[in-house]
This record gives sequence, C-alpha cells and structure tokens, in this order.
Amino acid sequence: MSGDTIEVEHLHSHFGPRHILKDVNLAVRDGEIMVIMGGSGSGKTTLLNHLLGLLIPTSGTIRVLGQDINAIDPVALQSLRTRTGVAFQSGGLLSSLTVGENIALPLREHTDLDETTIGIITRLKLEVVSLAGFEHLMPAELSGGMIKRAALARAIVTDPRLLFCDEPSAGLDPVVASAIDDLILRLRDAMGMSMVVVTHDLDSAFKIADRICVLDKGEVLALDTVDAIRKSPNVRIQNLLNRRTEEAEVDPDAYLRRLLGEKEKGEGEQL
Amino acid sequence: MIGRGIALLDRLGRAAMRGVDEFGFGAALLGESVYWLVMGRRRRQRVRLSAVAAQAMEIGIQALPIITMLSATIGMMLAIQGIYTLRTFGAESRVTLGVALSSVREFSPLITGILVAGRSGSALAARLGTMRINQEIDSLTVMGISPVRYLVVPALISMVVMLPLLTLWADIVALFAAGLYVAAELQTSLAAYGDELLDVLKLNDLMHGLAKAGIFAVLVTVVGVVNGASVTGGAEGVGRMTTRSVVHAISAIIVTDMIFAFMVTR
Repeated sequence: MSGDTIEVEHLHSHFGPRHILKDVNLAVRDGEIMVIMGGSGSGKTTLLNHLLGLLIPTSGTIRVLGQDINAIDPVALQSLRTRTGVAFQSGGLLSSLTVGENIALPLREHTDLDETTIGIITRLKLEVVSLAGFEHLMPAELSGGMIKRAALARAIVTDPRLLFCDEPSAGLDPVVASAIDDLILRLRDAMGMSMVVVTHDLDSAFKIADRICVLDKGEVLALDTVDAIRKSPNVRIQNLLNRRTEEAEVDPDAYLRRLLGEKEKGEGEQL
Repeated sequence: MIGRGIALLDRLGRAAMRGVDEFGFGAALLGESVYWLVMGRRRRQRVRLSAVAAQAMEIGIQALPIITMLSATIGMMLAIQGIYTLRTFGAESRVTLGVALSSVREFSPLITGILVAGRSGSALAARLGTMRINQEIDSLTVMGISPVRYLVVPALISMVVMLPLLTLWADIVALFAAGLYVAAELQTSLAAYGDELLDVLKLNDLMHGLAKAGIFAVLVTVVGVVNGASVTGGAEGVGRMTTRSVVHAISAIIVTDMIFAFMVTR
C-alpha cells in the first residue's frame, strides 16, 4: 500500500446525462495540503463530495486512509469518518445546538469521555481557533468568519488524520480570510494532518498549498506544486490564474449563435 | 392533440414514479429507524433519551392546551348534535352511547392526528428541510453520525408514545365536556352520565382509537421526514415541502382511518 492519504483513480461522475467529473486521478500525500482549485462549475465541490463519500461515482475508486470508501461496510465507514474532519463552506453547524455543543458533538457520540473532559477538549479547540469564551453562543449569533472557525474547531475536535475544508475563505473580507489561511497552516504544522482544501480563491490557494490540483470542466488540468502551477504554459490554467474568462476568447460567430438560441454541438453534455 | 396526450401521460408517469420513489424512501426510513433502535447500542450509536424527551415535550406537552380546547369543543358539539338527532325518535337519553363511541373510536384519534400533523409533522419537515439546505445533515453524515438515528428515531419514538397519550387525554376531555352538556340539557347528574359511559364503553373501543393513533404517529413522522429530506431550492423549497407535508399527512391519516375502520369494524 502506498503512503498516500487519499488515492483517486479514474473517477467519473454523472448527474443524469451530465458528465461532471471525467477520469479524475489524484493522490494526497501524508501531511500535505492539497488545494483543489477551479472556477465555478469546474466540479471541485462534486469531487469533494465524492471524497467525503456523500456521492456515489459512476466508475473509479476512491481510497481514503487506505480504504475504498465506496466498497467498505457501513461500520468501517463510520469508523473511518471518526478519523477525518470536515469544515463545510456554510459551516454546517447544527443550528439547534450552541457552539460548544456543536464542537463537543463528535466526542459525545463517538467516545466514552466524561463531561468534564469533553468540556476541557471543547474549550481547548475553541482556544486553537481563537473563539475562547464563545461556547455558549448559538451559531446564528456568530459572524461568517467565526462560523468558519467554529466549523474548523469541530472538524479537529477528534484530532483527525485528514481534514477537508470547503471554501474556507469564501465570503470573508481579506483580513479574516488571511487569518483563516494562517489557522489552516498552523493546524497542519501543529497536528501533522493531511488536508484537502477546495477553493476558488487564488491568493488563499497559493498561500496554503503544498500542491494544487486544477480542475476545469470536470477534468484535472494540472496537479503540481504552487511554483509549477504558476509557471504552467497551459492557456486554461493561465486564464484561471489571471482571472480571464474564456468568454474573451470565444469565437464571435459562436457567441452570436448562442444569442440566437442555436444549440452548439455537444451542448448539454458539458457543465 | 396527440402531443398533448403524450405530455399528459408523461406527467402522470413521472408523478407515479415520484410517488413510488417516496413510498420506497419512507419504507426504507422506517426500516432504518427500527435498525438503529435495536442495533444502536451495539454499534455504539445509541438513541439519546434526552433527544426523545425533548421531542416528546414539543410534540406532546406543548400540544396539550390546543388539544384540550378542541376536544372539549368536539365533545360538546357531538352531544348537541346527538341530542338534536335522537330527539326525533324520542331517544335522547341514548345520547351517551353515540357520544362515547364516536369520540373514543373516531373523533379523538382523528382530530388529534390532524392537529399533530399540522403542528409537529410540519415542524419536523421544516426543521429537516432547513438542516438539509444548511448542510447540517451532510455534516452529521461526515462526522459518522447517522442522521436517521440522530434526527428521525427520537421524533418517531416520541410521536408513537405521545400521539396515543394525547388521544387518551382527548377522549377524557371530550367525554367530560359532552357530559357537562348532557347533564345540563337532560337534567341528569354527571355521575349518572359517568355510570352510563362505563356501561357502554368497552376496552376494545378505547384500544381501537389508540391503535389508530399509533398508526397516525408513524404516518405523520414518515411523511414529515420524507418531505423534509426532499427539500431543494432554499427557503422557498422548505415552505413548499412543509405545506406538502401537512397535506400529505392529513390525507394519509383520513384514508388510513377509513381503511382501518373498514377492516376492523366490519
């Protein structure tokens, strides 16, 4: 078995007739931060949902911590999930629980720890994400940046080997976004975990990534280090890096045909 | 014309498929709930009693005032109509039989079921729908916490326990309110009315109503969860599915009531 935390081989995914992910191959090494980057509709959130086992692929295999997540039995999958943490884009905090109860939830559900120990661990994790003293607030009382940090605290409460973050800096002002990036780096350095971060924020990606996987229209355009991605000669990657839309390079005749409502060849099969 | 017919058939077919799909989802949900109830402890994912108690409080205790008010009204209404009808035959003294059987066997479970569907079934659908669009259900799943075990089973248990209990309370209130009117209208004592009640009511009648309430509890929960879990399209979707949940639950209660009465009473 390889030393990779995640291995994705020949992953294909469809939503009805739409081919969302096309032969995606990817490996996340132990202890590295892999950033999955791409524009809107590139398939990065779908890929994340496959890595989390929330979607079933059309074909291909996904091994997380050495286990094929689409082939293992539910008990093993449950056990695997206690060794991974996820911070969703919206936070995914349970709105009926306080911040402290949210963070303590995995401990209450998966361990036999007493309430005193759970309380200590919860406050410790809140300290880590700079939210000490906020455990009695409800999620609705937090700001966007605080919700992301609370979600991170919950994701790391069981000291997982692998952490997934979906758009950790989306919708935040640059200062708060940068603080979240620093927090991600600190967590990796302090806890030695592997991380998969999905983002469309270039600055954030270049700051935190060890390697970057660039997705475009469901295909992996490149999977390399930050420097190699920056210097890539690939036009589609450079468009993405320079925030140029493909619209600017579209054939005017094709543009006119679209305005007239004429369907182009292959339309409906793309994202 | 032919094209329109085909489109109609297409729509009918799709609606039928959706119905079958939802029915299957509901059945699977019920099966999974029973699984977690039985196997939860062995898989170290037991159903929390505190969650059941919280739901029971919401579904049962907080519904007591409205159930009491409506049951009293219906009991009195049955007595008024019963005396009016029986007076035609000079048999108004037999009103207790009609009021007792219609309350205990029919009206109390039906009204309680409809009320709980409107109050708690819709709340369940809205809660699950909101959790779904806020990625709260996904976050439970990825934490290794079964959403069915954590969210559905406590609601199901408390509904199955509380709805028959509420029905029993509705029986008592309706019969008492009817007794007050009967005693006043027919110049008899409340004690005589009580004696007659005990004479005409059999345990079988009581169980008939309570068994129906148990079935309604399962229906309200499953319909609420299926609709809540099917929410798409943000806040508007939550509203749409909540309304749908109430309509489906009340329809299911009335149809099931008729089938139950047909099968058990004949």
